[in-house]
Order: sequence, then structure tokens, then C-alpha cells
Amino acid sequence: MSEPSLIAIVDDDAAMREALYDLLQVEGFRAVTFPDAEAFLDHFDDREIACLITDVRMPGLDGVDLQQQLRALGHMLPVIFVTSDEDEATRARAMRSGATAFFTKPLANAELVRVLRDVLGSERGD
Amino acid sequence: MDLLLRSEASGACWALDISRVRGLIANVAQGHRPVDWVGTLLAGTVTLDANANAVHLFGAYGGRDRMLGQPLPAYWPREGRNIVADIIVAAIAAEPHRCVRKLRIESLVLREPVLSAWQSEKGDQPDTVFLSITAEPVDDRSFWLLRTSEERYNNLIHHLPFAYLEVDSRAQAEIFDEQRRKGLKDIEAYLDTNPADIQRARDIVRITDVNRSAVQLFGARDAAELIGPVDPLFVASPETARRVMINHFEGKRSYSEVMKLRTLDGRILDVSLSVTYPTRPERLDVTLIMLEDITDRLRTEAQLRQLQTEFARAARISTLGELASSIAHEVNQPLSAILTNAETSLRWLSRDQPNLEKVEQLTARISESARHAGEIVRRIRGMTARHVPRPQKLDLNEVVEEAILFVRHDIESRSIDLSIRLRPDLPQVHGDRVQLQQVIVNLLVNGVQAIHQKGGTRGTIDLSTDSDERGAITFAMRDDGPGIAEGDINRVFDSFFTTKEEGMGIGLAICQSIISAHGGAIGASNWPHGGAHFWFTLPAAAG
Repeated sequence: MSEPSLIAIVDDDAAMREALYDLLQVEGFRAVTFPDAEAFLDHFDDREIACLITDVRMPGLDGVDLQQQLRALGHMLPVIFVTSDEDEATRARAMRSGATAFFTKPLANAELVRVLRDVLGSERGD
Repeated sequence: MDLLLRSEASGACWALDISRVRGLIANVAQGHRPVDWVGTLLAGTVTLDANANAVHLFGAYGGRDRMLGQPLPAYWPREGRNIVADIIVAAIAAEPHRCVRKLRIESLVLREPVLSAWQSEKGDQPDTVFLSITAEPVDDRSFWLLRTSEERYNNLIHHLPFAYLEVDSRAQAEIFDEQRRKGLKDIEAYLDTNPADIQRARDIVRITDVNRSAVQLFGARDAAELIGPVDPLFVASPETARRVMINHFEGKRSYSEVMKLRTLDGRILDVSLSVTYPTRPERLDVTLIMLEDITDRLRTEAQLRQLQTEFARAARISTLGELASSIAHEVNQPLSAILTNAETSLRWLSRDQPNLEKVEQLTARISESARHAGEIVRRIRGMTARHVPRPQKLDLNEVVEEAILFVRHDIESRSIDLSIRLRPDLPQVHGDRVQLQQVIVNLLVNGVQAIHQKGGTRGTIDLSTDSDERGAITFAMRDDGPGIAEGDINRVFDSFFTTKEEGMGIGLAICQSIISAHGGAIGASNWPHGGAHFWFTLPAAAG
């Protein structure tokens, strides 16, 4: 069986970042975490990362800015947003710029996993 | 006695009964002088009568009652006692029974006073010695001027809106003089080991006159009820008596404090006490005490403080209302992490071979996040709880960091860059943590809203702390919002001044009242290149 795809997690909240990392791990995914958009862009390698999960509101570059920047650079990797905001405008802005999915915290974890499996094909870790 | 009072009407006259010390007088006249014969002789005299001038000279406003029936030392200044004992002996020994001496008593405001002693020429009163003090008459004009001024003084005193007491503390002053002669320096230490001296002072120092306000203040029937020992003045504040004594001993000119007074009709009042001790050449028998009833004032002040505290709390709750979504976000973060970690743990446990090591790690994280959520709730409760301001030593940098937590999400969600420059090793301030947090949160919320009002995609807020050259601690905040309208700059701290549609205009007014209650200053201005600048300074905590 080939190495599972790598998923990037960008969230400025350390507890949430680690929680997502562990969730992906138990579901058989491989993950890598970044505390902010800038750190992610510095290490981004599009041959390796198959999907991006990002918080929307972060100091510095926010999640939607990050997605737009990736698109502008020509990277079409799927982006899943997780946010505390129920705010419709934010959701609309994210979806307009081509988001794959938009989750509100606290996360429906099973739903997130289902979406990831859809995005990454039938790939399963376990 | 009529004879005496007629013949010596211009001077001060006394009639003394010396029957109890006849034997001693005879011995002294023959040259047998026992130790302290002066003290024994004078203590054995009884004052039979005294004229008005005599009362005025030594008796102050205590009146003739202070003299009649008393031995001579009860009112005669210490420095004149040797002469008076001497002249009594001399007059009885002389034939006819009359003797005159120059008198030196510094505390008497008389020009070259002369002391005379004699007995009745008819020989019908062998146990009575008459004394008089006469002085060169001051010229008529100054006499009348003096009388007028004295009358004016009495009127003034009696109609003063403050309670006014004249006190004769000479007896205590003499004890102090004696103690100083014996080398006593540290009166405080002395009184600590001799507390009975304080009670004695309260008994021997006497109120000799009071005005109407004093009668009213004490709830007395009339002035006579107050004439006597000062003791009742200190019933509710015994420590005050001690401090009044210490200041007397140390030669202070005056002393004041706020004390509790128990009135004769049993009320307890807060009064402001001022004592003025006499110094030469003033009359040493008059120590002035003024009392002002400040019970109502203190009560009003306490009510005002209470109202300010309630008002500040209302403002905090209102601010937290504006920050509701920011706070919800703060609480939601750890809750989300808890939920995800819990579900992940369940997944590990449901495996054929549960990974307990993973579960343990996740459980630890759950507990950490729960603690964090609890911390946020505690902070919010701190802002909303009824709270008696509790000043303590604080690091203002910590207060700033805590305040930011309330507003952080608002700042991020509006794409505002927050730059924070906290001076390391900032001296501590003395203040109430919640109230100072309130000020900073308020300024931050205003900054965020100003930037939002201006529109545009991004904004900047700079926060800094520093200490200035005079040691005061400063907090400064600048934003790149629209700034303060030129005409408003002097009104931003006024109550009910607001430029926000939904604002009440109490936020900055409360910031100002909090900062001034902390002994600091607050201000606002515009930056030349746009944006508002708010700052406050606080004195560094002592010690």
C-alpha cells in the first residue's frame, strides 16, 4: 500500500491544531501543522500536500487570503475551512473563492473525515 | 473681703485661708525649711475668694469655680510659686502684716507686675492672707481697644459654625516639662509602657470654655455640662488622645485628624479634630480645639464611591455585550478542541487493540483545554461581578495582556494588525486589576470601532507601555482610524458624549474617573498623519 496523502493544517490555536492532527492520525491520514498562513507558504510543496485544512481568522494573512494566494500561484489543491464564525458573509466569501467545504467549530468530526475521504478518493489509512 | 476687693480693685486679688499651714509658716519664718516646704505650704492653702481680674488672669473661662475652695497651685503658674510662698511667710512675719515683691511670671502679659501680700489691719482675720497682683496700667486707649477686640473674639468664637473648645492643658504641660528635664525623649515608647499616663492626662486636662456649636455637637444641655476633664472627647477614639499628647510633647504647633466622637446623648459621629497648642507669649492655659462634624460628608462620599463602582460595573457589562461575539469565539476554541480530542479518544479506544497511550495524551489535552475555558469564564465573571475596588501592586504589562484577550478576536476578525510594545521590567503600579483592565479594553474597543467606521480593508493599532523620566508609568494606544473630530477633542471624556449611534457615551468618562481615582491622568489627541492617540499615566507604586 502506498504512503497515504499528506494533509496540511493551518490554525493559530495550538489546541485546535493538535486536536485536528490527532483526529487525522486516528483516521489513518498523514498530517502536518502550521501556526499561520505565512509559515505554510514558506514550506508549501504542492507535489506532496494533497489537501489544506485552514482556520479562517488568524493574525496576519487570513484563511481566505491564503486560498486566494494559492490560486493566484496556480495551485489548485482542495481547501477546507474551519472557523468559529457562523457569519454568512465569511462563508460566502470562502465558498466563492472555491472552497471545498466550510466547517464551523466545534467540528462535526465524522463529517470532516467523510469530506476528506471524498476529496482524496477512496484512500483509507486503516 | 469687701475691704480687699474695694481697695485693690484695679488688680487681681485673692483671699487665702492659711489656717492649715500656720505651723509650717512659723517654722519657715524661723529659718527651718523642710524639703519642698513651698509645695507643702501652697498645697495647704484654700482659696476663699478671688476678684474678676484674678479669674481673668489665671482662671481663664473656667470662672471663679476653678479657684474657690482650691489650693493655690491649682491655678498659679509653676514659675511664680516660690515667690508667692515666700511672700506669704514674709507678710505674716512682718509688722504690720504687709509685704511687696516684684513678680516674674513670663506667661503673664503684664508690664512689671507687682505681687503684694497682707493681712487685715484690724487683726480680726488671722487665718486669712490677701494677695494681689497689680501692674502699671496700660494706657486707656489700648485698654479699650483690647476690650473691644476681646469682645469681638468672644462673639466670633461663640457664633462659629464649628464646635470650639478652650482647654487648659497646663497641668499636663508641667508633667511634660518635668519628664523632659529628666531626659525623656521618646514619648511614644514611654506611653506604650505607661498607658495609665494617657488616662491621667484625659482627667487633668480640662475643658474651660465651649461655644454653642460645641454644645450642639455634643448633644449637651448647656456649656456647663462640658466644662471639666477632656476625657469624654476621647471615649470613642482613645488612640486620638495618645496622638494629641505625643504632638503636644513634641512641641508641635497644631495637630489634626479625623476621629470618632461619642456624644453625650450617645450618638457616634465622624469629626475632624484640630488642636492648636499654645506657645509663648500666648496664654498657656488656652489650647484650642476645633471639631467639625463630617459624618454626612463621609456618608455622601461613601455613597458616591459606591455609585461610581456600580456605574463602572454597568459600563463593563455593556462593553462585554459589545464583545459578545469575540468572547464566544474565545470560549469556542477550547470547547472545539475538547470535542475533537474526545471523539478521537473514542476512536482509539474502539480499536481492536485500544491505544491507551494516545488516549492518555488526548485526555491530558482535554483537561488542559477545559482549564483554559474555565480561565476565560473566570475572567469574564471577574469583569461582571460586583466588586469592591481592591488596589494592589500590579504589573501593568500583565494587565494589558489580559485586556487584549477580551478583544483579540474582534481585532483579528476585522483584519486589524495589533502591535504591542511592552517595556520590560516596568515598575509596578498600585491599582485595581479589573478597573485598569476595563480602561484598556475600553480604549481598544474604541480603537477597533473607529477603524471599522473608517472602512477599508486593514487597520493598525499600536499599544505600548513605558515609564517616563519622573518614574510614572505610561500606557499609550494609537490607531489609524479617522481620528477625533477637531471640535470633539476636549469633550471625549465627558459623560454622555458619543459619536457612535448606539453608544451611551459613558466608556471614556468612566476611564477618566478610574484613572483619576488611581492618581493618574488620561488624555487624547490626534496624530499628525491621522488616527487617534489615547494615553494614560499612573504613579509607580511606592516601595
